Amino acid sequence: MREQHLHALLHHLPAGVATLQGPDLRYGYLNKAMQELLGTDVAEGQCVADHPGVLPSDLVDVLQQVYHTGIPYVAKACSLPLPPQDGKESVSRCYDLVLEPVRDDAQEITGLVLFAVDVTQQEEARQRAHTLAMETRRLDARLRVLTETVPQITFSLDAEGLYEYVSPQWYYFTGQPPTADLNAIWPLLIHPDDRLRVLYQGDAARKAGTGWSYEYRLRRHDGQYRWMLSRALPELHAPDRPVFWHGALTEVHDQRELSDALRRGEAELRFLADSIPELIWTATAEGFIDYYNHYTGEYSGLTKEELGPTGWVNLLEPRKQAEAARQWVKSVAMGEPFEGLFRMRRHDGQYRWHIIRARQLADERGPRWFGACTDVDDQHRLREVLQVQYDELARTNRDLDTFVYTASHDLKQPLFNLRGLFEELRRSATFDDPEEEQLLSMVDDSLRQLDSTLQELAATVQDQRGLSAPVEQLDLRHIADEVLLGLRAQIQASDATVQVEVADAPTLLYGRANLRSILHNLLSNALKFAHPERPPVITLRSYLSANKQPVLMVQDNGLGLTIPKTPTTAFQPFVRQHPQVGGSGVGLYLVQRILASRGGHLEVSSSIGEGTTFTLHWFEEA
Amino acid sequence: MNLNHIVYISRAVRPLTDQDLHELLEQCRRDNSKNHITGILFYSHGNIAQLFEGEPEITEALFERIKRDGRHSHVQKLIDKPIDVRSFPEWHMAFHPLESVGFSQLQGFLMPDRVPAPPDTLTIADAMLIELVRLAVFGPSTEPAFPSLPGPTSA
Repeated sequence: MREQHLHALLHHLPAGVATLQGPDLRYGYLNKAMQELLGTDVAEGQCVADHPGVLPSDLVDVLQQVYHTGIPYVAKACSLPLPPQDGKESVSRCYDLVLEPVRDDAQEITGLVLFAVDVTQQEEARQRAHTLAMETRRLDARLRVLTETVPQITFSLDAEGLYEYVSPQWYYFTGQPPTADLNAIWPLLIHPDDRLRVLYQGDAARKAGTGWSYEYRLRRHDGQYRWMLSRALPELHAPDRPVFWHGALTEVHDQRELSDALRRGEAELRFLADSIPELIWTATAEGFIDYYNHYTGEYSGLTKEELGPTGWVNLLEPRKQAEAARQWVKSVAMGEPFEGLFRMRRHDGQYRWHIIRARQLADERGPRWFGACTDVDDQHRLREVLQVQYDELARTNRDLDTFVYTASHDLKQPLFNLRGLFEELRRSATFDDPEEEQLLSMVDDSLRQLDSTLQELAATVQDQRGLSAPVEQLDLRHIADEVLLGLRAQIQASDATVQVEVADAPTLLYGRANLRSILHNLLSNALKFAHPERPPVITLRSYLSANKQPVLMVQDNGLGLTIPKTPTTAFQPFVRQHPQVGGSGVGLYLVQRILASRGGHLEVSSSIGEGTTFTLHWFEEA
Repeated sequence: MNLNHIVYISRAVRPLTDQDLHELLEQCRRDNSKNHITGILFYSHGNIAQLFEGEPEITEALFERIKRDGRHSHVQKLIDKPIDVRSFPEWHMAFHPLESVGFSQLQGFLMPDRVPAPPDTLTIADAMLIELVRLAVFGPSTEPAFPSLPGPTSA
């Protein structure tokens, strides 16, 4: 029963078992696995040498030797082709073949036991491990080439903070010999001002199990300290604490210098902005204020946080806030400059006028806004005061004009009456003394002079009012003819010659009444102040100056006049150059007023007893 | 009742699809109505801006959560301050969907050109902030001269 049980067990063993009997090694027992391995043409009683099945021929030789020497042998990982099964192609599998001699009681060898253990899987795993090892070696070599080629210094630290590896670049950079003790030398090469910080930060990161990134100065081979960026990450063997840190050291000296310079420049600009007693601010491209200078805080009494990205609008007068907000949003949307005059609240509640200006700067860093609020309160108040005074003056002036006009008008009627009475008197009265008779003509002259003075006064006021009359294109000859027609009596009486030469500049853009008044005054003056020994010759010439500006020249051969030293007092009203000649003395004053108010000026040259030349520059030379 | 409002702008990590926007809208509406959060969110071409109002503890916690949301970055808080009254009756989201079909009927959705003017309950400074934020997200409007800000006489 037990033997039968054992037999069944042996038969179904997953390893192949066979006995080979006698010196010619005939197959004895073959279990199921061995039978499948060797194939169906192998059967009990056959010789191994004649029917080796899948066993290689050299193994058959080895079988013979084991039988003869009695020394067991194991053939490891023998590749044996399996016979084709179920139409599947033949595949090779690996077996460890164990050859064990069998002895009888007298220790004589009677045969062999052959075990075949399938080790295909183990063999494949071994192959894979080998390939993996090769690949690892290849990757390792590549990594080494890379780490030794990149400009950075690479390094590895263990959990204690001791250097495991540093790439050769470290030695080139520091100039240290390859035998240098890294852990001892490295800290000494760090700039003394950075050393403590670096050691502390490194320790802290290792304790916390995190990476690090910091900058410090490391001494180069030439003794110069250069800024380096040290970055490292832990190698985690989860879930344990990190066992290694790997990192790289990059020289960032130049960038650092540059950014230091930038920082310095920015700090200086900021200092400048903070020193200016004006509200200065900057805003992002979106229009949110991100900087207010120191003075803004001082003026408003609010912090940057209280003001916020749009809080500046709260400083304006409540009724102007919405308008200013709309204007700012529009400026931001269009990228247009912002400008406006607003009253801004000071910390003490007083509102002061400010000009708020902002412009957009667009460069490679993207658009930003720069703004300033300039306090113009004093100027604004001054302007307001001036405006009030100006308005008052203008009104007074108008009143005065009206008074003069009214007075001259009101005086006309009594004068008219006086003249009528005088005519009546002259007709009816008789004088005994002929000298008394002369009194009549003197009274007559005085009355006539009073009349013309009143008329001129009224004309002056009227002309002043005409100063604001609209301009039109005027034909100079036409206007001159009109004026001369009005003076026909005087021209005839004095036998005067008037030459009008306007071909060079025949027209003028001017007020019609003004031009007429000017011509009238100048021509009548020329007639009035004629030299008693010769008939007057008056020349009127219109031409263009070198700058293409129209000029009018009026020349006479009359008495001439004395030109005052200071031109501003040249022709004051009611100051008369020739008291022996009748007139109110307002003529030249009026000419000058009209010219000046239209943006021109009057030039006079004169010789006593020879004549006078007036040059009218209608408009100021550009 | 204590109230607070917060305004921020940010950038989406990647452009949001209609599907993303729909989900975001649903999620925010659900959470916000539960937490009594009202306000408005603007989205366009990866630009995000939001104003939300509610009780200070809730707005604070919400902003902390928003800040950590991996769907956007460059979160920039513009304002965070107490307010007297709410200015928004509900919570809305305004964006241009690729396919507007289906969105128009969605609760809480607004086409950007249908966003109402900033309410009078906001200060001018806050109304201007909303206008600038809207400008930053949607770009200059083609409408004439920003009718949504209150006129000078109404202030």
